[in-house]
Amino acid sequence: MSSAPRHEVHSSVPGLAAERPVIWPPRTHANLANGLEIVLVESHTIPKFNGDLFFRSGNAAAGVPGLADLTAGVVRTGTAARSSRQIEEDLRRLGADLASSAGTDTSVISFGGLSEFSEELLRLVAELAQQASFPEGEFERERRQMFEALRIDRTTPGFLAGEGIRKILFAGHPYAQVAPTEAQVEGYRREQLAEYYASHYRPGNALLVMAGDFEPRAMLKQVEKIFSAWSGGAAESSPDPALGEIRGRRVRLVNLPGSVQTQILVGNRAITRKHPDWKKLTLANSIYGGAFNSRLVMNIREQKGYTYSPRSGVHPLRQHGYFSIHAAVRNDVAAATLTEIFYELDRMRSVAVGDDELADARNYLSGVFSLGLATQDGLASQIGTVALENLPDDYLETYREKIRDIQAAEVLDAAQKYFDSANAQIVVVGDRAQIESQVSLFGPVEVQDAQGNRI
Amino acid sequence: MTQFSVPIESTALPNGLRVVVSPDRIAPVTTVGVYYNIGFRLEPHGRSGFAHLFEHMMFQGSANAGKMMHIKLINSSGGVLNGSTHHDVTNYYETVPSNALERVLWLEADRMRALKVDDENLRNQRDVVKEEVRVNVLNQPYGGFPWLDMPPVAFRHWPNAHNFYGDFADLDSASLADVQAFFKTYYTPSNAILLMLGDLTPEEGFRLAERYFADIPSGPAPRLADSSELPQTEERRGTVEEKFGTLPAMAIGYRAPRRLTPEWYAAGILDQALHSGRAGRVYRRLVLEQQIAVEADGGMNSLGGDLFDYNGPTLIATRILHKPEYSAEQTLAAFDAVVSEMKEKRIAEEELEQIKVKFRSDYFSMLEGGHGGVPRYGLMHLLACFSLFDNEPGLVNSVLGGFMEVSPEDVESVARQLFVRHNRSIVIRQPAKKGAAL
Repeated sequence: MSSAPRHEVHSSVPGLAAERPVIWPPRTHANLANGLEIVLVESHTIPKFNGDLFFRSGNAAAGVPGLADLTAGVVRTGTAARSSRQIEEDLRRLGADLASSAGTDTSVISFGGLSEFSEELLRLVAELAQQASFPEGEFERERRQMFEALRIDRTTPGFLAGEGIRKILFAGHPYAQVAPTEAQVEGYRREQLAEYYASHYRPGNALLVMAGDFEPRAMLKQVEKIFSAWSGGAAESSPDPALGEIRGRRVRLVNLPGSVQTQILVGNRAITRKHPDWKKLTLANSIYGGAFNSRLVMNIREQKGYTYSPRSGVHPLRQHGYFSIHAAVRNDVAAATLTEIFYELDRMRSVAVGDDELADARNYLSGVFSLGLATQDGLASQIGTVALENLPDDYLETYREKIRDIQAAEVLDAAQKYFDSANAQIVVVGDRAQIESQVSLFGPVEVQDAQGNRI
Repeated sequence: MTQFSVPIESTALPNGLRVVVSPDRIAPVTTVGVYYNIGFRLEPHGRSGFAHLFEHMMFQGSANAGKMMHIKLINSSGGVLNGSTHHDVTNYYETVPSNALERVLWLEADRMRALKVDDENLRNQRDVVKEEVRVNVLNQPYGGFPWLDMPPVAFRHWPNAHNFYGDFADLDSASLADVQAFFKTYYTPSNAILLMLGDLTPEEGFRLAERYFADIPSGPAPRLADSSELPQTEERRGTVEEKFGTLPAMAIGYRAPRRLTPEWYAAGILDQALHSGRAGRVYRRLVLEQQIAVEADGGMNSLGGDLFDYNGPTLIATRILHKPEYSAEQTLAAFDAVVSEMKEKRIAEEELEQIKVKFRSDYFSMLEGGHGGVPRYGLMHLLACFSLFDNEPGLVNSVLGGFMEVSPEDVESVARQLFVRHNRSIVIRQPAKKGAAL
């Protein structure tokens, strides 16, 4: 037992003990002759492993919005050798999960299963990557499911706000398209999917990341054996049209009659993860609204009770990025919330953050960065980001130290550059009758319906 | 077959607080949880949503850590924290770099010893909770479906049948006196368990538990209200309007067996036969083959919980969103054909074997992570539930065996027992603007 008196034990906050070293396990890198890049890392938490087979092309590369997404969905429904039912039952037999999807810049086959069956699971993944057969019936079914899911998405405030901000920030660029229209889904043809698959699901365009309970040398041999017969060079890179300048604050109101809450999303274009300002912006975001213990959360949740889960975030895409703030608030405080959002942005831009708050934020970011070490998923996600974005090999090892070196002046600088409140774009999703006059105080308002038609 | 088990060391303090440590040296990260044996099932009558509102109050300040201190101290130590209210337990948990362990325990002990909140805190969190209900339920397509829609249809006893998130009128009438009374009754050391997982030794964990928690006064064990239900004798149906979504939806729930009985293990496997993702019979038949539904999923105690974390009546429930060109009765008929087959045709050994492999694989993943990037959340959750409900944390390592022993005959027999009309409830959620342009 401690010698300190009880009342002292209970009344003063214990200090932090000496930090135990954060050691990132070594990564095994390889490049096969066919161009497939491989990164493996051991993690013996449970007798399983997981992985992601990434393709460096997503919806932005497809020309038609959502086509890469549907392609990924249909990939798992049939190969030259296996039917849809066979694939699903084989996965279950191997104790495996598999998901195929496409984001803006990548498509991915994610998988995980018992280590004892790793070879069979990898063979199935390789088969999906090389021999997907796009059966007509499966294509039609998945298309209908996508159509119905989209109709529901367009009744979902968070989805509509996210779609709206991307349309505004990236007008004229493929990044503006988060999801297709219903007519676009109806217009997809099976051949378009097969064509997209043939030109993008290629080893020269692919990255295989795996973490789990395996011995890396032996696993690498297994991967080489299974994936080396695959062929196909790099995919054509997607176009990057110039973005127009955004001047002035504007409001887009997406009218969702009957809403009992207003979904607010405020955004500015920002930067990619490779940009030299990335870590400074991340730290500024964490102080502003990126953590529970952040200014925005304290203000509009803990002091004012306007909202449950407000947050800000920095979103890196391959060619650009954006910063955004979201809050779902009761209808009568839409204007009051926007006032606080901009007040806190301007405070970040005009007053340097104090020493204690800066130290807390540095500790937060550097601490949570290493939490992922404790799980196979967390580790795969960290090494996947490094490999996918071609970050330096020592990115994981040096990240914490770099965060801890950031000074108040650099945070101020990042806020002034990227928290561009005068030119911030505002999307609100809610009942027009209840919020239009409130939000018109913040800029010219354009009203749309959920399908994006001006009204 | 791969064996896997986790180390478990447990003890209890003289004030009744149970303490469980599960060490591993994978990373310099520690997860701490404190569970209280009270959830929304047993919240006070006429105070719907109170257990959850109270959970929010536990972040509003304690004797030596004022409002925001809990959040600030954990975040600034490099960690994350949260809490959640379940049917029968409420938890508070933190994941931190392991050098912050002592600080986390100090905070948890401080709020177990003395909550220090005022009317302003209560008003503030009542507003926050209302926005939580709006964002998750009232302003979302299919919000609360079916976890809030099903209980009033399926159950007759208030503890099981009321609105767990809370009617706004009840939230409004909750007072500070209610908060302090609830704290005094249910948040006692003997009604709680402290769990520490990851980068620590059992000796360290026990020593620190003693240091920070041992002199918290022991209160009387709370008298837990009776939440049992009479056996169901007729099919029950209800209808709810869907305000935003475009597709008709349906949920079907069958009363499930008691936990840890032979029927429960068999029902766990039966449930997997029906609901294990795209290979499960419900999804395969309704979505992939017949294409009546576009979504179909479910599970035992899936309405706001998992297979293990309940201590009262529950359901094996299925949730379906179907195409508007099929009627509710057509959809139900297709579902009925799937469950009837479980009764009439014995499951093949091969399918059963697949299900068992997937079951143990899923179980390992659940122990390792399982919730919003919090390492060992699943392990923590199971250790807590098996301790509080069954006084047997070691079930974490043995419970899997019970599922692996289930035979085809067991599955058939439990299907016959459960899948009868008078044992089920159905909720239809019908879009308000049928087929209208959006």
